[in-house]
Amino acid sequence: MGKTVVLGVIGADCHAVGNKILERAFSDAGFNVVNIGVMCSQEEFISAAIETNADAILVSSLYGHGEIDCRGLREKCDEAGLKNILLYAGGNLVVGKQEWSDVEKRFKEMGFNRVYPPGTSPEVGINDLKHDLGIED
Amino acid sequence: MELKNKKWTEEEFFKVRQEVLNHWPTGKDVDLEKAAEYLKKVPEHKSFPAKLKKAKEEGITLAQPRAGVALIEDHINLLKYLQDVGEADLLPSTIDSYTRQNRYNECEIGLEESRKAGRSMLNGFPAVNHGVEGCKRVFEAVDLPLQARHGTPDARLLSEIIHASGWTSNEGGGISYNIPYAKSVSLEKSLLDWQYCDRLVGLYEEMGISINREPFGPLTGTLVPPSISNAVAIIEGLLAAEQGVKNITLGYGQCGNLVQDVAAMKALEEQANEYFKMYGYDVYLTTVFHQWMGGFPQDEAKAFGVISWGSATAALAGATKVIVKTPHEAVGIPTKEANAQGIKATKQTLNLLRGQRLPMSKELEEEIKLIKMETKCIIDKVFEVGKGDLAQGVVKAFEMGILDIPFAPSKYNAGRILPARDNNGAVRILEFGNIPFTQEIKDFHRKQLEERAKVEKREVGFQMVVDDIYAVGKGFLVGRPNM
Repeated sequence: MGKTVVLGVIGADCHAVGNKILERAFSDAGFNVVNIGVMCSQEEFISAAIETNADAILVSSLYGHGEIDCRGLREKCDEAGLKNILLYAGGNLVVGKQEWSDVEKRFKEMGFNRVYPPGTSPEVGINDLKHDLGIED
Repeated sequence: MELKNKKWTEEEFFKVRQEVLNHWPTGKDVDLEKAAEYLKKVPEHKSFPAKLKKAKEEGITLAQPRAGVALIEDHINLLKYLQDVGEADLLPSTIDSYTRQNRYNECEIGLEESRKAGRSMLNGFPAVNHGVEGCKRVFEAVDLPLQARHGTPDARLLSEIIHASGWTSNEGGGISYNIPYAKSVSLEKSLLDWQYCDRLVGLYEEMGISINREPFGPLTGTLVPPSISNAVAIIEGLLAAEQGVKNITLGYGQCGNLVQDVAAMKALEEQANEYFKMYGYDVYLTTVFHQWMGGFPQDEAKAFGVISWGSATAALAGATKVIVKTPHEAVGIPTKEANAQGIKATKQTLNLLRGQRLPMSKELEEEIKLIKMETKCIIDKVFEVGKGDLAQGVVKAFEMGILDIPFAPSKYNAGRILPARDNNGAVRILEFGNIPFTQEIKDFHRKQLEERAKVEKREVGFQMVVDDIYAVGKGFLVGRPNM
């Protein structure tokens, strides 16, 4: 199918285990995965997406600073010419145990198309991405 | 400065120190003489080394939580709650992730946003930004020993500030706070920077002040084979001792199989003491056991099961202290109530098992022997490639994949080793990369994994690793197919 996704962990976050598993799972599902690894700035996500003409950016955050780190990413994508690129976020996105529906709402308001709670299996994201990109199984 | 495993001279230390104290404005408030005076007045019940020694002599296991929020008042309330309601024996201050990357400007933003939002927008306590004054306020408000717990490759300024504030323990090391916590910090740099932190503690020791140092045992906390974490722990212990550190706690993260975990703790303590003796260091050694560091079940009752299992293992292994998880582990940073519950569940289990040890058996003996043999293979090779210099050996060994930590984010880590559980849940190695084990040891690991594959009617492979990583979160130790 040849669809490309940029995958990475945002901010000062160094959680690498899930990142390695997502890389494997999305590759096995047929995506061309550009994995920029842990501790990536918004700019690194954007330049990787431009360079590889990506169809989606998948942002992970496990350490609680996700809310600060993700803010403004949609606007920066727009400025960089990545209009309407799919933005997904997942992980332990905020500090502390908060109502999931509130967290999801806040991230959707920030311009993320899909938001995932901790412990989501990679298949869920893969199926959503196929749906959002109009890929038939 | 060239990296060598050699005690820094005073000249070398104070030259670097001038620069370190200028990294952030709060650095100028650190005065070594005033700090020494302050530390000499720390009462025994608030001294980390004293409390650890007492616990070791009495054969009990102390419980320590992780905790840290952005603002001083909130942080004090949190620690006091864990002390008074949670019944913690030792207190932490977990440092936020921006401080860990020396991004103090971003900490300022986080502090500002936390004040506005009325909740912590940082995942820990930004000790450098709060400075000696703020850190002393925390220390004076609590009644237990205080330790900084973080994940900072360059913790020089942080270490200066916390010790000057009466905090008598610091976690970390040049390997254990770099390879699992950073992407592109060279080992030469992190080893030198941690030599500085250790030398600072050495200087205090020379002034008659005992400060505890604790290399971070669990590394990536994900299926790390015991001999790999033990080798790193012993190496960091030796590097610290060379700089004059006298009070060391070596750690290990629970893998989950009781016999393997107890064997790892016993091997760690015995072998570390052998190495300290061999190289002529006078070290008072204690141990720390970390409750399960991998993915947790979402369900809080199930999480208590995981917490209690770790507590039982810590007690049966005779650990000096145990680092506690909370029922909120699966969703992120816990509330103070959940944190206190984790400590209470832990202490209940520890108290029930007080005085009991896992008796020696053929299985335990063989596992200890295996872990010690593997650890020795690695450490010997590190010395060999360093031509006798341990610090240079570490750099070279990571380049060559002799030291290789599974699932680490650092580009200086080979990342060729792949672990998986055997049929009893013990962590074995599936792909060895360049880890210098004998053929006999490699064959044993393979045999154990083949035995599991046979039971599960599938091939030994990467899917087993993925299944094992998710297994505890789903309620099991071994990741069986169709779980």
